[in-house]
Amino acid sequence: MRELLTMWRDTRMVMLVAVVAAVYAALLIPFKLFTILPGLTSIRPANVLPVFFGIAFGPAAAWGSAIGNLIGDVFGGTFGPGSIGGFVGNFFFGLVGYKLWGNLGPLSSGEEPDFRNQRLRQLIEYVAVAVAAAAACAAIIAWVVDALELVPFSVLGPIILTNNAVSAVVLGPPLFYLAYPRVKEMGLLYPDVLRTEDLPSRANSAGALAMLVVPLVWIGIAVLVLGGAPGSTAQIGLGAVGFLVTAVAAYVAGENFSAIVREA
Amino acid sequence: MSSTSLYVDADSFLHRLDPRAKLALLLAMAVPAYTFGRPAFIAIPFVAALIGLWIGGGLRNLRRVWFIIVALFIVGLVVWPGFVERGGPVVVDVGPVFLTEQQTLFALGRSLRITSFILGGLVYVSTTSNEEIVRGMRGLGLPYAFCFAVGTALRLFPTFLDAAGTVRQAQEARGLEISSKNPIERARSFIPLLIPVFMTAFRNIETQSMALEARGFDTRSERTFYRESTFATRDWLAVGATVAVSIASIALSTVGVGTF
Repeated sequence: MRELLTMWRDTRMVMLVAVVAAVYAALLIPFKLFTILPGLTSIRPANVLPVFFGIAFGPAAAWGSAIGNLIGDVFGGTFGPGSIGGFVGNFFFGLVGYKLWGNLGPLSSGEEPDFRNQRLRQLIEYVAVAVAAAAACAAIIAWVVDALELVPFSVLGPIILTNNAVSAVVLGPPLFYLAYPRVKEMGLLYPDVLRTEDLPSRANSAGALAMLVVPLVWIGIAVLVLGGAPGSTAQIGLGAVGFLVTAVAAYVAGENFSAIVREA
Repeated sequence: MSSTSLYVDADSFLHRLDPRAKLALLLAMAVPAYTFGRPAFIAIPFVAALIGLWIGGGLRNLRRVWFIIVALFIVGLVVWPGFVERGGPVVVDVGPVFLTEQQTLFALGRSLRITSFILGGLVYVSTTSNEEIVRGMRGLGLPYAFCFAVGTALRLFPTFLDAAGTVRQAQEARGLEISSKNPIERARSFIPLLIPVFMTAFRNIETQSMALEARGFDTRSERTFYRESTFATRDWLAVGATVAVSIASIALSTVGVGTF
């Protein structure tokens, strides 16, 4: 997790944060696939970007997605206390990708995400990463919004999970196939930009698998067990535990993508 | 200022406040809207936000976001009664719709809360330019590199938004169909829109980084600024008002005033 702070020393990473944020915000607003609740939530193709950016740009994508979502709120007129949840949720939306790719033990393909070799294994790994990222983002946003007693977790959590996961799963593979080699060619993959000493020195599959499972279990308990109790101590407490465990899992997971890139 | 921005270029009292003082005022609207539950009490920050919009010349922005505000209000009215115990006299009893007074007031309070939050945010973005937002963040002690990234993103955003529009028109002119009835087909039709925009954006990162470093950009060294933030008396008054309103709201709601 140290890389989330040390990346700010590198000018290219700072520029990546800015460009990721601007591109994410610029593509979030104008393009939408389907409206689920008017004014509140739509399935947007740009929801694939934090997953793509997360794997390619690593920590810069985590900060960039968070800032991009905040810019979307500012320009979209929905800036307010709920934007705190959007910031942290989208931070994790971008964070999960690089923590999990190549680090999921038996679920990992051991390949770069270019969908050229071992396509089925890459697809399985990608779906796991995309769903984990979508779930972490959904759980955190729904937790904060529920704690503010704006919209119940049981309503918003599944909607955000669906929104994020549908776009990421459907659009991810073709996007990686077409764009990943070009980003790599530009030398912008985070293992190529960050100094080796700034990268986590270890990879831990147990931590990565926990990052996959914990947000899904968190949403499951919040919706199916606690259900209709918005702003309750149980819901807030579950969120605090879920968030803490996800953050600790992210720290423990390290990352393995840089090793895959170096070996390629 | 780009037309995508909600900032209104004016010289109102709110415009003259330091961005940190405006954030404090945003808190002064959010705390009572959060601590109280009864609609009559939450209506106070709601009306205060509307007055703030009027003072700051931001009422015109309501035209751009009214749909979101109305939709959130209606969604709140529909969703929240399902999460409250029935109590008091029956207000609506039409077919499957059965609402008591308690359910209606609770839902109305929650809908007013979310719209108050959004209106409060709208006052802030209507009276604070992008540069001031970043200056305020810097004034709050956030690291320079982070503020620089936010400021650069805010500047780049309208450019990429325009590029997204241009790419969409260009691809549609080439025959791209983005309104297919098949949801998978429809989703995939967005790939030719996404890729050109972000490949264009990322192509210049290397050059931009070199240009920054050539001008001495260094996130680690101590920086000096041409324009330092000063906190005037009016800003302290705004902070004082926020503290007073927050303490009063918390104290009143703790003893059961304005709550269910």
